[in-house]
Amino acid sequence: MDITNELRQQSRRDFFTSASSGLGGLALASLLKDDGIVHGAEANPLIPKFGHFAPQAKRCIFVFLAGAPSHVDLYDPKPVLQQRHGQGLPKELTEKVRFAFIKKESAILMGSDRKFRPHGECGMELSDVLPHIGSCADDIALVRSMHTDAFNHHPAQLMMTTGVPRFGRPSMGSWLTYGLGCETNDLPAYVVLSAGRGSSGGVSNWTSGFLPSTYEGVVFRGDGEPVLNLNTPNGYSRDMQKDSLGLINSLNRIRLEQQKDTEIASRINSYELAFRMQKAAPELIELNAETQETLDLYGVGRKEPEKTNFRGGGANVYGQFSRNCLLARRLLERGVRFVTLMHASWDHHSNLSEEISYNAGMLDQPVAGLLKDLKRRGMLDDTLVICAGEFGRTPLGENRGGNKQNTGRDHHPYAYSLWMAGGGIQGGQVVGKTDDIGWAPVEDAVHVNDFHATALKLFGFDHHRLVHEFKGLNVRLTDQGGKVVEKLIA
Amino acid sequence: MKRLIVLVSFSCLASFSVPVWGQEKEAPPEQGQKIDFAKTIQPILRASCYSCHGSDAQEGGLRLDNRSRAFAGGDNGKAIIAGEIKSGLLLTLIKGSDEDLGRMPPEGEGTPLTEDQISLVENWIAQGAEWPDSADIAITSDHWSFQPLSRPAIPEVKGKDWIRNPIDQFVLARLESEGIRPSQRASRSTLIRRVYLDLLGLLPSAQEVEQYLNDQRIDAYQQMVNGALQSSHYGERWGRHWLDLARYADSDGYEKDRARPYAWRYRDWVINSLNADLPFDQFTVAQIAGDMLPEASVSQRVASGFHRNTLHNTEGGTDQEEDRVKKTVDRTNTYGAIWLGLTVGCAQCHSHKYDPVSHREYYQLYSFFNSMNEQDVAAPTISEAATYDEQLAVYTAEHEKLVKARMQYEVDQLPTALGKWLEVDADLIYQWRPLTNAMMTSHHPSTFKLLADGSVLVEGENIRSDIYTVTSTANSLSGIRLEVLPDDSLPSKGPGRAENGNFVLTNLQVLVRQVGTDGEFTPIKIGRATADFSQNNWEVAKAINENQDDGWAVSPEIGKRHVAVFQLDDVISFETGVEFQVVLHQKYETGATHNIGRFRLTTTDFDGVLALEGTPGNVLEAIAADPRNDEQNKVLLDYYKHIDESYKQLVQAEKEHESKSPPMPGTKAQSVVELEKPRQANIHLRGNFLTKGEAVATLGLDILPSVQAEGDQLNRLDLANWTVSKENPLTARVTVNRVWQRYFGRGIVETSDDFGIQGSEPTYPGLLDWLATEFRDKGWSLKDLHRLILNSAVYQQQSAHREDLAEIDPDNELLARQYRSRVEAEIIRDLALKASGLLADRIGGPSVRPPQPSEYSALTYANSAKWQTSEGDNRYRRGLYTFFQRTSPYPMLMTFDAPDSNTCITRRSRSNTPLQALTIWNDVVFTECAQHLGRRIVDEVKVSGKSDEDIKQRVNHVFLTCLSRRPTRPEMVAVTSFYKSQVERMAEDEQAARDVLGQAPMPEAASLAETASWVAVARVLLNTDEFITKE
Repeated sequence: MDITNELRQQSRRDFFTSASSGLGGLALASLLKDDGIVHGAEANPLIPKFGHFAPQAKRCIFVFLAGAPSHVDLYDPKPVLQQRHGQGLPKELTEKVRFAFIKKESAILMGSDRKFRPHGECGMELSDVLPHIGSCADDIALVRSMHTDAFNHHPAQLMMTTGVPRFGRPSMGSWLTYGLGCETNDLPAYVVLSAGRGSSGGVSNWTSGFLPSTYEGVVFRGDGEPVLNLNTPNGYSRDMQKDSLGLINSLNRIRLEQQKDTEIASRINSYELAFRMQKAAPELIELNAETQETLDLYGVGRKEPEKTNFRGGGANVYGQFSRNCLLARRLLERGVRFVTLMHASWDHHSNLSEEISYNAGMLDQPVAGLLKDLKRRGMLDDTLVICAGEFGRTPLGENRGGNKQNTGRDHHPYAYSLWMAGGGIQGGQVVGKTDDIGWAPVEDAVHVNDFHATALKLFGFDHHRLVHEFKGLNVRLTDQGGKVVEKLIA
Repeated sequence: MKRLIVLVSFSCLASFSVPVWGQEKEAPPEQGQKIDFAKTIQPILRASCYSCHGSDAQEGGLRLDNRSRAFAGGDNGKAIIAGEIKSGLLLTLIKGSDEDLGRMPPEGEGTPLTEDQISLVENWIAQGAEWPDSADIAITSDHWSFQPLSRPAIPEVKGKDWIRNPIDQFVLARLESEGIRPSQRASRSTLIRRVYLDLLGLLPSAQEVEQYLNDQRIDAYQQMVNGALQSSHYGERWGRHWLDLARYADSDGYEKDRARPYAWRYRDWVINSLNADLPFDQFTVAQIAGDMLPEASVSQRVASGFHRNTLHNTEGGTDQEEDRVKKTVDRTNTYGAIWLGLTVGCAQCHSHKYDPVSHREYYQLYSFFNSMNEQDVAAPTISEAATYDEQLAVYTAEHEKLVKARMQYEVDQLPTALGKWLEVDADLIYQWRPLTNAMMTSHHPSTFKLLADGSVLVEGENIRSDIYTVTSTANSLSGIRLEVLPDDSLPSKGPGRAENGNFVLTNLQVLVRQVGTDGEFTPIKIGRATADFSQNNWEVAKAINENQDDGWAVSPEIGKRHVAVFQLDDVISFETGVEFQVVLHQKYETGATHNIGRFRLTTTDFDGVLALEGTPGNVLEAIAADPRNDEQNKVLLDYYKHIDESYKQLVQAEKEHESKSPPMPGTKAQSVVELEKPRQANIHLRGNFLTKGEAVATLGLDILPSVQAEGDQLNRLDLANWTVSKENPLTARVTVNRVWQRYFGRGIVETSDDFGIQGSEPTYPGLLDWLATEFRDKGWSLKDLHRLILNSAVYQQQSAHREDLAEIDPDNELLARQYRSRVEAEIIRDLALKASGLLADRIGGPSVRPPQPSEYSALTYANSAKWQTSEGDNRYRRGLYTFFQRTSPYPMLMTFDAPDSNTCITRRSRSNTPLQALTIWNDVVFTECAQHLGRRIVDEVKVSGKSDEDIKQRVNHVFLTCLSRRPTRPEMVAVTSFYKSQVERMAEDEQAARDVLGQAPMPEAASLAETASWVAVARVLLNTDEFITKE
C-alpha cells in the first residue's frame, strides 16, 4: 500500500478516534454537523458527499467578469436604444425614475457601437466581439433578465459570490465544496485563477466565511508559476518530507486535542494537501502533454494585442487568461470541484468601445475553447460553466474623464445578462427579456438569489436545506430568498 | 425576500411622502402681510417634505428641517435663496416648472401642493425667507457613537477574586448575568509567549522564558509586561499595525509603480514615536498637520508624510488634477476611517445611504485636505546629521583660510596691480561694433525689418530652411557676434519663428574680400564659437562644424535674448578695409520650420580672446574719466578682478575647495506643505472631478461638534486639533477599539472600520467608553492602555475553545476565553528568524529585499520592480522592513494575507491554505532558518555523553526556543522517534545530510547525520500550527 495513502488513512483514523472519544470532538462537531446532507462523518471534511437529490452537475467553472460588463454591448441587443441614441430617457421611464442626480446633459441614451448577429440553430443574438462564444450558442443558456441589490462593485461582487452584499458569508464555491467535498486528495477542492488586474472584492469573493477555512478558495498565481514553493528543499527526499509531515501532523493533532480549534484541523488538512500537491501540481501545470491543436483552441501562445493600456490590460494577459482556462479544465479533470476564473476588468466608465473590445478579445476565444474542449471530452454534461459579472451598465452614456461626449456607461444593478452552459443547463435558449432600452427586466426577472438557487439545484441541493447554523440561524447561500428558474434546467 | 427597490439609488429630490395637511383651505396671503414661518411654512414642509428630507432621510442630501442645511441646499444646488423666486430648487420643484426635473412630491406618491400653498412658500421666500431661531431644529442623531463620551460607572460583580482591574469588572458583570464562568488563567509559558507576540511580534528567548518561569516575585507578570513595553521592538510591532491603516508602501502603485526611496522615513517616524510613547493626540496632529505646526520640526514634517502614502500615478498622459483629486479623496477617506471610524467615502458620489453624511458635507471635509502640495524635504537621520556637522567643521576651517588669503590680496595688492594695468594694458579693451552699410538678403522671400536698436525682425512667409546673408564692411575683423532676440510678434516671443519660439542655426559662415575688388568672397575659418546658452545636444559649436544637419538651438530658454560669438582664427585686415558676408544657414528639415525671427550682428577686431559682451560701457567710461570718482574706482576694481591673474588664481582655489565641501546628507522624506491661498473645493457630482457642483466651505460634519478655527479660516491644523479634542466623541473610542481588537481578535465594536449606523453595536459599551475616557483623559498614552489591557484577567485567560460556549457564543463576543489566532504575515517571518538566531534586529532604515522563490524572481518585470536581493544581514531583517512593491509584493507576505496597501485596512483577513504550508515548508528563507535553528540546538545544549539524555535536552531546548514551553510526554516521544529515524536516513545518505545542513560550518558537538537530523526537527517545529499561533 502506498505509504502516503496509509498515512492519510492513519490521520483519518486518528481524527475519528479523537472525535468519538470526545477529544477534538468540538472541532469535528462543527465541521461535520449533521444538517441532513453531510453523510458519513469522516474526518476528511472534503470526502465526496452527495446532495439532496441526483445532481446534474458535478463540477463548476465560474468565469467572473469583475467590474461588470455592459449587457447592451455584449448580450442584449437594443435596436430602440440605437434609434434613441442621444435622446433623453423615454417618458415612460422618466415618470418612474427621477434624475435629480445625474446631470441632465449626460442623462442621454447611448447606443452601442457593437453589431449583433444571430448564432447557432437557436439564433441567439450576440455582440460582434464574441464570435467564438457565439459558435457555442446552442450549448448556452443566456439570461437577459438578471438584477441585483447592490450598486457598487464590492457589495455587488459579494452578492454574486456569497449571496449577500456584506462580508463574512461563505462563497458559492465554499458552499459547494462544503456540501460535496471534492474528488481529489491531491489538489484544493476550490481553486481561484486570476489574470491581469484583481477585483475590488478580492479574497472576500472566495472566502469560506464562517465555514472552516478548509473550504476557502486557494488562489493560484496569475503570472508565471501558478504555485510557488512546490519543490522540497535540497537534501529532503519525498520520504523525508513524508516523515516530516507525519511529525507535523502528530504535533498539530496533540494541540488540536488541547485547544479544540477547528483552525488546527484546517491546518492539518492544509499540510496534507500541500504534501500531495507537491506531487500532483507540477504535472497539472505542465502543458506539454496538450496537443498543439488544444493549445490553439484556447489561444495559448496567441498573439498579444499591440495596444494593452486598458483596464485589466498588460503584457501577456491574453496568454495568461488562455492558460488559466486550459488550467481550469485540467483542474476539473483531476477532481477539483470549483474553479473561479477571475477575469480582468469590465468597469468601463469611459472609452467603452475600445475597452470592451480589448477585454472581450481576451475572454472570447479561451472561454469558447474551454466549452468546446469540455464538450468533446464528454465533460460538459456534468460541468456547469457560468460567465457573469456583478451587474450591468446603464443604457445612458456616462462622461467621465473629460471627453467631449459620452464614452462610457455607469453601474446598473437593475438589469444585466449572464450565461451558463453544461451541467444540466438547457442550452440554446434565451431566458428573460428587458425593456426596449435594456433598463429593467420585463419578463422572467431573475434575481441573484434565484440564480444561486438554480445552480445549487443542478448540484443536487435544495437551496433551502443547504444550510449552516451560525449564531442560532440557519444561514444559506440564497439568504432569505431565491427560487429555482426551472426554464434553465434541461 | 429582501429586495432593494429598483430606483432608490437614483432618487434624490424624489418621493415626497403623501401629504397629510388639513383639508381646510388656507386664505391666500394678503399683499404685504408678513408670512410667519413657524405658523405657515413649517407645517407645509413638515407634512410634505420631512419624511424624505428631514431627520430620518436626506434624499439628495437635502434637509428641510434644519435652517442652515435647508439654505445650504442639496447635492444639486441651492433649494432656497432668500428673496429670489426665479431660482432655487424648492420652488422649481414644488411648482414643477422644469420639465426635466419633474414635480415634487412625485405623482402617484402624493398630491401636489395646492396653488395657495405654493404661493405661500413663494411669498415667504420673496419676503426674505425669514426662519427664526425658535423654529430651528438642531441636527442630532441618537446613534450611540455620536453621543458625547463620558465616563461610565464600573459595574459591581460577585466574583471579586478574579478581578485584576476594572476591565474585568465590565466583562465579569456580563458573564455573571449570562451564567458563564471565565476561563482559567493561562500558564506562564503561554502568557510570556502571548505578551511577546502581542507587544513585540517576537518570541521570548529560551533564557527569557526560563527566567520568567522561575520568577518568584509576586508581580512577576507585571514585571515581564513592563520589560516588554521597554523593548524597542514594541514600536515595530505596533508600528506595523499603524502602517496598515496608513496604507504604507515603498512604491507609487499603478503601471509605473516607481520606488519611493524615502518612504521609510515615515515608517521609522511611526516606530520611533510609538517607542517614545508620543501621546496619541500629538501622534495624530503630527500626521494630519505636522507641516502646519508653528516652526514645524523635521520630525513633524516627516510625520505629515502620512499623506504621501497614497497611490501616485506617473503614467504618461495622466491628468495631474485627476490624480490630485484622487489622492485628496483617499486622504479624506483615510482620515475618516482612522480617526472617526466612519466610511465617509460613501458620500463621495452621493449622500451617504446610511450615515448622516451628505454629499456636500463630504466635500466640506474634503476641503480640509484640498490645499496641500507634495514636497520632499531634506531630513537627515540623526547619525547623518552628526557626521555632516563634523565634516563641515573641518571643511569650514580650511575654507576660511582661502577666503582670508583672497581678501588679503584684495586689500594689499589688487589696487597696485590695477594701477599698473591702467598704465600699461588698458588699451586691451574692445566693444562689439554695430554694422555699417549692411545689406541683407534671404534665400526665400522673407523680408527684413530694421529696428531702432540695430536688430532685424524677419517677416513674410516662414519657409523651411531659409538662408540669410548679411553683407557689410569693417576696417578689420576678428569676430562676429550674433544676438538672437525676443519679440512680441514672434511665436512664443521668439527668438525663432518655430511655433515654440525656437530656431536652429545649422551653420554660420564668414566670407571676406578686399573692399573695392570684385573678386570672389573667400571663406574664413572660424576657430571658436561660444554662446550664453545652448539647447541640450544643440551646442553652438555645431553651427561651425562640417555637419549640416545639426546646429545651435536654445529650447527651453525661449523668449529671451541669447548671444553667440564666432571668433576667427586670425584678425583679417586689408588696406582698403574688409568687405564681409555672414551667412546664416537654417537648414533644419526634420521637424517644424526653425528660422531665426529677430537678430543683430556686431563685429570686433580685438586681437584677444573674445567674450560675449565685450568691455562694458561703464568700464570704458571709468577708464576715460579724469579724475575718477569712488564709484568709477569701484567699477574698475571689480572689472579688473576678472583680469588679474593672481587674483583669479586665488578665486579659483577657493572655488575648487568648495567642491570638497561635505555633501549634504541625501536622505529626504516625503512631506506636504499647505498652500498660502487655499484651493476652493467644490462638490464633485457623482464623484466625478470634472463635473463640479457648488463651491463648498471647509467644515466638519454636521452631526459632530463643530471644528473651531484658530485663525481666520478653518484649516487642516484646526481639524487635527479638533480630532483629539474632548468634544469629538469618536477618536478615543475608535482608537481603543482598534487596540482591543489586536488583543482579542475582534473589537468591542466588531466593525472597527465602521462606527456608523451600519456598523455593529459594541458588545461592551460601558467598557469601550471607560477605556476611551481612561485613554483620553490620562494623557493619551498608548503604553498605559496596553499595560491596562495586558494586566486584566480577561487578557490572561486560556484560549482553548470551550464546549459550553460553542453554541451560545461561537465568536467569543463575551470574552469568556482568550482568542487564539495565526500571527500576521510579517510576524511569521520574524518568528522563524528569531528562533533560528538569524534575525538582524536593528530598528529602522531603508527597506530591504530578502530572498524570494527563484521561480518568482525569474519573472521579468519592469525595471522599477527589479528585485536585487539584499546583502549581508539585511537578508535577515524583520518582515516589516521588506520592500513593499505595490504591483508585485513579496509573495510570502501576500500568501499570509498582508494587505495590498492601497487603502486603509483596520482588519486583516486570515486565510489557511496549502500554499501557506508550502511556503513555511519549502521556501528558501524558512529553509535557511531551519538550518540555523538545527545547528543552534546542537551548539547550545551541552553534551552529557548519554545519547538519550542529550536528545531529551535538545528537544526541550527546541521547544523552549520555538514554543516557549517544554514538550509534553507524547510530544517528546513523537519528536524523539522522528529524530532517530532521520539520523538513520542521514547516515545512509551523506550528500543528503550535507544538503539538509546547508552551507554553514558544522558544529563540533554532533556528527553530520545528527546535526542534519536536528535541522529536520527544527523544520518540523517551524511548521507546527502552534509556532505561528498566538495562543
